[in-house]
Order: sequence, then C-alpha cells, then structure tokens
Amino acid sequence: MWKLIVRRTLITIPQIIVLSLLVFILAQAMPGDALTGLIDPSIDPATIEAMRERLGLNNPWYVQYIDWIKGVIQGDFGQSFRFKMPVSDLIGARMINTLWLSLATLILTYLIAIPLGIISGRFNDTWLDRAITGYTYIGFAAPLFIFALVMLFVFGFQLGWFPTSGSVTPGTTPGTFEYFISKVNHLLLPALSMALITTVSTVQYLRSEIIDTKQKDFIVTARAKGASESRVYNRHVLRNSLLPIAAFFGYEITGLIGGTIFIENIFGYPGMGELFLSSISLRDYSVMTALVLLFGLAAIIGALLSDIILSLVDPRIRIK
Amino acid sequence: MGKNNKSKVLILSLALLLAACSGDDEATKDSGGKKDSDGKQEQKDDGLYSIEDFSNVKTNEGEAIDGGNITFGLVSDTVFEGTLNWNFYSGAPDAEILNWFDEGLLTWDENYVYTNDGAATYEVSEDGRTFTFKIGDNVNWHDGEPVTAEDWLFAHEVIGNPEYDGPRYNSDFTNIEGMEEYNSGKADTISGIEVVDEKTLKITYIESTPSLLTGSIWSYPLAKHIFGDMAVADISSSPEVRENPIGFGPFKVESIVPGESVTLTKNEDYWRGEPNLDGVTIKVISSSTVVQELETGGVDLISEFPVDQFPDNADMSNVEFLGAVDRAYTYIGFKLGTWDAENNRVQPNPDAKMGDVELRKAMWHAVDNTAVGERFYNGLRWNATTLIPPSHPEFHDDSNEGRAYDPEVAKTLLDDAGYADTDGDGIREDPEGNPLEINFISMTGGDTAEPLAQYYVQSWEAVGLKVNLEMLEFNTFYDRVGNGGEDNPDVDVYQAAWGVGIDVDPSGLYGAEALYNFPRWENEENERLLKEGRSEEAFDLAFRQDVYDEWQQLMVDEVPVFPTLYRAVLSPVNDRVLNYAIGDGTEIYLSDLAVSQDSPVTAE
Repeated sequence: MWKLIVRRTLITIPQIIVLSLLVFILAQAMPGDALTGLIDPSIDPATIEAMRERLGLNNPWYVQYIDWIKGVIQGDFGQSFRFKMPVSDLIGARMINTLWLSLATLILTYLIAIPLGIISGRFNDTWLDRAITGYTYIGFAAPLFIFALVMLFVFGFQLGWFPTSGSVTPGTTPGTFEYFISKVNHLLLPALSMALITTVSTVQYLRSEIIDTKQKDFIVTARAKGASESRVYNRHVLRNSLLPIAAFFGYEITGLIGGTIFIENIFGYPGMGELFLSSISLRDYSVMTALVLLFGLAAIIGALLSDIILSLVDPRIRIK
Repeated sequence: MGKNNKSKVLILSLALLLAACSGDDEATKDSGGKKDSDGKQEQKDDGLYSIEDFSNVKTNEGEAIDGGNITFGLVSDTVFEGTLNWNFYSGAPDAEILNWFDEGLLTWDENYVYTNDGAATYEVSEDGRTFTFKIGDNVNWHDGEPVTAEDWLFAHEVIGNPEYDGPRYNSDFTNIEGMEEYNSGKADTISGIEVVDEKTLKITYIESTPSLLTGSIWSYPLAKHIFGDMAVADISSSPEVRENPIGFGPFKVESIVPGESVTLTKNEDYWRGEPNLDGVTIKVISSSTVVQELETGGVDLISEFPVDQFPDNADMSNVEFLGAVDRAYTYIGFKLGTWDAENNRVQPNPDAKMGDVELRKAMWHAVDNTAVGERFYNGLRWNATTLIPPSHPEFHDDSNEGRAYDPEVAKTLLDDAGYADTDGDGIREDPEGNPLEINFISMTGGDTAEPLAQYYVQSWEAVGLKVNLEMLEFNTFYDRVGNGGEDNPDVDVYQAAWGVGIDVDPSGLYGAEALYNFPRWENEENERLLKEGRSEEAFDLAFRQDVYDEWQQLMVDEVPVFPTLYRAVLSPVNDRVLNYAIGDGTEIYLSDLAVSQDSPVTAE
C-alpha cells in the first residue's frame, strides 16, 4: 500500500513540471498581455513600455519561466497585475469561498444521489424508478446556467426564501454566529442549484450498479440463506455498488476548488471560476498560471486519491 | 452626482471584461430632456426609443424622510478589484465605489469646465500657466484630519515616482514644470508645485491650454498622514487602500466583503453638510439578474443598465429610467499606413489599399446606420455624424450631417474613381483592373456583434465591394490593429469604439504622433486644427468651437475613419429615491440623496 502511494507521488513530480511548462508556453502564445487593455491616449506609450520592462514582460519566455519557477519553489506566485496584491493571498481568499460552496454542493449531491439511486435501483422498472430516471434525463439535458437562473428567480426573487447575491450579508461582523448563519444561508441556493444538476450522473451510476449487483450469484445465495430483503440490500448490494461512487469521489475533490463560472456569476459569488476566466481575458498572467497549476495539481492528487480509495475498498484491483 | 475621474480618452470594448477604462458611464445632459407627466417612458408605436425622451434628473415624488438606507447595485460580470483609492485604481467597478466615499477637490459644470463650487477653488494667472488652489477650511478626511495642500502635493509626488504602479502618470503630469526631472530622479522635488500654506497650493504648467480647465488637473489628494511613511510600491496593496480606505466624500467605508459588497455610513462632517441618508450598501449584481433585483427592490440604484434589456422592461412600474448621451462613439477605421516606432509617429503609405479617399467616402455612403441603430438597438444607439459626439453639446456640430446613407452616391463615387467591374462577376476591381478584396475585422462580444458586422459586409457587397470579415476576441483585435505599434498588414478596415474624455481635444486619437491613431493617417490641415484647438487662443470659446467645427468637417471630407453610432446610457432609479441625477454639472450631489419611504417600492 505505502509503496503504491510513494510510487504514485513520485510520478506526479515530472507531471507537474511538464504541466507548468505547458501552461507557461501556452500563456505566452496568447495575443496581448496585461497592459493591452490599457488603451488610453493620455498615457505616453513609453510609460507603458517602461511598465512592461519592469514587469519583465519583454524577456524571452524561458527567462520569465525561470524567474517564475524560482518564486514558486519559495512559495511566491508573484503579484497580480490587476488586483495589485500577492497572487497567493488573492487565491487564498477566493478558494475559501469556493471550498465552502463546493463542500455544500458535494454534501447535497450525495444526500440526493444515494437515496434516489438506491430506490431507483432496487425498484427498477416501477413508476417510482421511471420518475427518478426521468428526473436524471432532465438533469442531463438542462443547462446549468438556465437552471440556476430559474432557481434564483423562483426561490430568490418570487418566494424570497433565499438571498439573491453575494456570499454573506453586507455589514455583518466576521466571527459572530450571525455571520456564520448568513454565510450558510447564502450558500444554500447556489449549492442546491448545482447539486440538483450534478447529482444526476451519480444517481445513474448507482442505479445501474445496483441493478447489476442484485442479479449476481452471491445475492441469490444470500436470499437462499433466508436473509431479509432489507439485509440483502443494505449489507450485500449497497456495499458492492458503492465501488464506482468511491472511485468517483477522488475526482469530485478536483472539482471542489475549480468553482463554476456560471454559478458564481449568477449569484454574485466571488470564487475561483470567475477569477480564472477574468484572469485569462485580462491577461493577468501570474494569477492565471498559478491557477492552472493549482487545478492541474488538484487533478493529479484527485486521481491519486481515487486510486488509493479504490485499492482500499477493493483489494482485487490493487496495483502490483 | 459625484464626479468621476477624468481619464481623457478611453476605449470601449464590446466585451464587458475590459477594465482599462474608468467611469465612462457618466454622460452629459442632453439638450431636450422631456418626459410625460408621471415620469414613465412612452414607447413609440414602432417600438423605438429616443434619448430625447429621457431626463437625466430624477422626478421627485413624495416627501423625504429622515435618514434611510439605500442599496446600490454594481452591475458587473467581474468582481471589483478593491484598489479603493483614486490615485491607484484601474477598474471601472472600483471607480463606482470610490464615487461614494471620495471625490476630487474640483467640480465641473455641464460643459466639463472646472467651477469654483467644489471642495477647492482656483485662480489662473495672467499667462494661464499658474493655478492657485485654495482648499476649503471645512474639508477634512474621514478620520478628522484636514485635507491639506501637502496631501495634494503628495498625490503628485507619488504618481510621479518611478516606483508608482498605477496607470495615472500621463501627459497631464508631464505638463507640470519639473515633473519629468522628478520622475527620472534628476530632482528631489517637483519644481512646478509649491505649497503656499496649509490649504493653498500653486501648480505651474509648461503649456497653457483650455484642456487644463476640462479635466487635466489632478484633483485627488492622497492622505499624507496615512501613506507618507509607506514605500510607494507598497501603497496600492496596503490595507489602508484595500480594507479601510479613506476619503473625504459624503459617506465613509464601514466594511468591505472583498469582491462582493461594501457598506458605507454617512460622513457627518462632510464639507457640503451632513448627508440625508444614514448609509449605503453597495453590492455586486450580475447583468443577468439586474431586472429582478430592480423589480423586487433588491437595489435602488445601479451603476449601469444593459441597454439591450430596456425594450422588454421599459414599463417597469417601480422605477424611473434616467437617460443621457454616452461620451462614446463606434466607428469604422481604414488602415492607411504603419507606425514608425523609431520616430514615434505614423508612417502613411500612399499606396495603401484604402488610400483612395473616394473609396472611403463610398464605403460610408453605403451603410445605413440609422437602420442599424433601429434594428439592433431599438433606437438607443443612433446614426453618428461627426467624430465629436453630442455628449459635448458645445462642440458637437449639429449642422454637420456627415455622409448620409445613399448606395447610389456610393456607386457613382466608385465608378468615377475607376473602381469598375471589369470581369463581369458583380465585384468591382481596383482602377488598375486587379481584383480588390478588402479585409475587415471586428470584435466579438454580445449576441449582435457578428450580425452587425455581417450587415456592413452585405452593404458593401451591395455596392460591388468584396469584403472579408473576421471576428476577433478583444486582445487579438487590438494586437492586429496595432495597439503596440506593430500593425498587421492584412487588416484594411476595422470596427471599434472610443470612449471620449471630458476634454474635447482629439489629438490623442488623430494626431500624427499618437500611437492610437490606428488609421496611421497624417494630414497637414488636421495637425493645424488640432494644434489650434489646444492653443492659448482657444481659451476663447467661439474660436475653439470654430476650430472643432472645421475639424469635424475635415474628417467628413478625408474619412480616415467614419463614425457609425452614438449611444445612450440608461439608469433606472427606484421611485422612492429623491434628488438623484446622472451626467455632469447637475448640481445634485450624493449628499442630497434621500428617500421618501423606508423600504424600496416593488413592482406590481
């Protein structure tokens, strides 16, 4: 087991180096830079050129890369040109928002997926099952952007049950109980909107896995031995059906820090997705490269986690 | 309404993400602001609207109550950066927040000329170069310290410092005596600025021009007692800018949730007198939910209404729509040369594909911008005639009609200039009989960007010109147009937009030494007029008007670019809000703002 973890970790190091190199070269290949948007005739082009020089934007890419990687190794991701603050502080602040939102979404996703998946799998081809699969098809087809807007319109504006924008009520003091409640309250609607859509694939996985497992020989054996129906499902079927879900979990972690631009935009919720997209279009390179590296790292670690979870749950697929 | 910063000319991209420009949503009062009695807009039968039917001042209904709080919606698809100081900010959303708690020492009237009713008054010397400013005795920072001449000088010193990381150091600063020496490190002080006493400052400029009176004076002081000991490079990221920003405006910042909201309370010590409102909450809202926020009273005021959503919401019952002419125009430009980086000036190419003025005139006559404004924008953008938009009523020449839509005239012009269809394929060849293919680029962004560009291509095709369209993302677009001085030789025609500053002088866009003269066009007459427009003689308004009338006509005759559309800005205001106006010189200030009831009026 430990051997596997160490080996997998060692493999990730060259992966990350290649990734960072790729990210950097691609960023350089994009037209324009952070100063392109500064089209203001009252600023002397020489001043802009001097700023470029000072920011090192005129150096060849490998020089910039080496400068950058030196900083990264020391934990310094540079300064955001747009926000005029250290990239690590900026990402840190956004990541907390996104982390809470994603965590709430993840919990809701599983809260919805597991019961629905079980019901649908256990009673397959009944009306209940058809209703649930019907919902999953709608979920697959509905664009998140539209769905979130509808949710916001109905529950936020029409019924007024939830706040409609931001991550906390303006003016509440951080650290108080009121602040915490306000945060949770602001999280619910965006998290629910996202969960209702993203959960459908998990429901489907679970359903097909349960249907598959319940026809296996060992289940027939369990029934033949006189196990009650609930014991059969809870002890035998469910356990064996959760395997793909467990494997999936590692990848879900990756999604945790990515954020979604749609949800963040609609709910005015400052998170990583918005930061990423605007950094690309405004060519805030230091933020953009740091984010891509971070996302890449999360994907690699997520895959590693999935493998570890899988090998823990199912010793048969342990890699030799 | 509070004064925005004064960046002189800026660009509007169709993409909303561009943060380069600042506060271009304020525009001037349009001449005939009329509306019907109940303050609601009347839609004309054809579904079209006209900016002339909008007022820029809110109709007051009901009595003001004591105190009250309002919510200001910052409409933006990107968050605000949080660089909350006039001397350092760069994004437009930051400027919207700054307006509420800090302001310039000078105010201006509806013609953008500095007045003497601001926090400071000014006097000009005989030769027009030396300005003496007196800051009011009751003008104090939010922490109670007086705003002093030292603070004003300090702002100049910080912006002129080579370590300064903001975008403000420009020709307004280099026009101050001794500034370049200070910036290059040759001098320890700026020789042209003198602190006379605690509240009096004297600034000497190198060149006297009427532009000085229209926004070329830096009027935002920087609190020296707070920032004085900091390294210049560290100020913009300091907590005194980002978390507890300071100003001397009508409201004080109470708390900030980074990227999403700001709460402000009234500044009882405000120099114009205690504000009516108790406080203001500013929150970021998405352009996709603006309408719902307005209808439910979630916000009372917003920074910018997406004009394309207006036709569906014109009869929203709980708000009044204010409107004004935007300080901007859309235009089509012709590439006529390249940029000579060595000598820092344009290098016209006499053999350029678009070099024939008759061809350019014909291309203007070939397009129907009135139809474009009506079909694509319901009349909220309309046919542009000259390169000085009507947001500058003193200088926009109403009598100049530009070039009207007339495809027959276009065809005749082309025939006479020798652009004939020699091989009978319906497409004109150039006068030498070689095939003529014109490359046209335009920016992506919004649903209408591409169909609009396609419309132009079809209009040109209708007069026999073959035009190839390429749609490009903002950065790529300006890269090709020649933002860095390296023009892409494949571009012949492009469609872009300029936001113009409060000063009318267009030399930053069309002068021979201007990098942003993207057409790379040079003309002696043009140089003369631009020079006269900012000469000492131009302090005489009639003279300056004549000069710019002549210039507008010259641009209609020479067509290095032609304007296509002027645009409106709209600002919905909840019915309970009193004493509010958009635009300049209205003499209605944020400290006057009041409400007639405790909670916002909601839509029926």
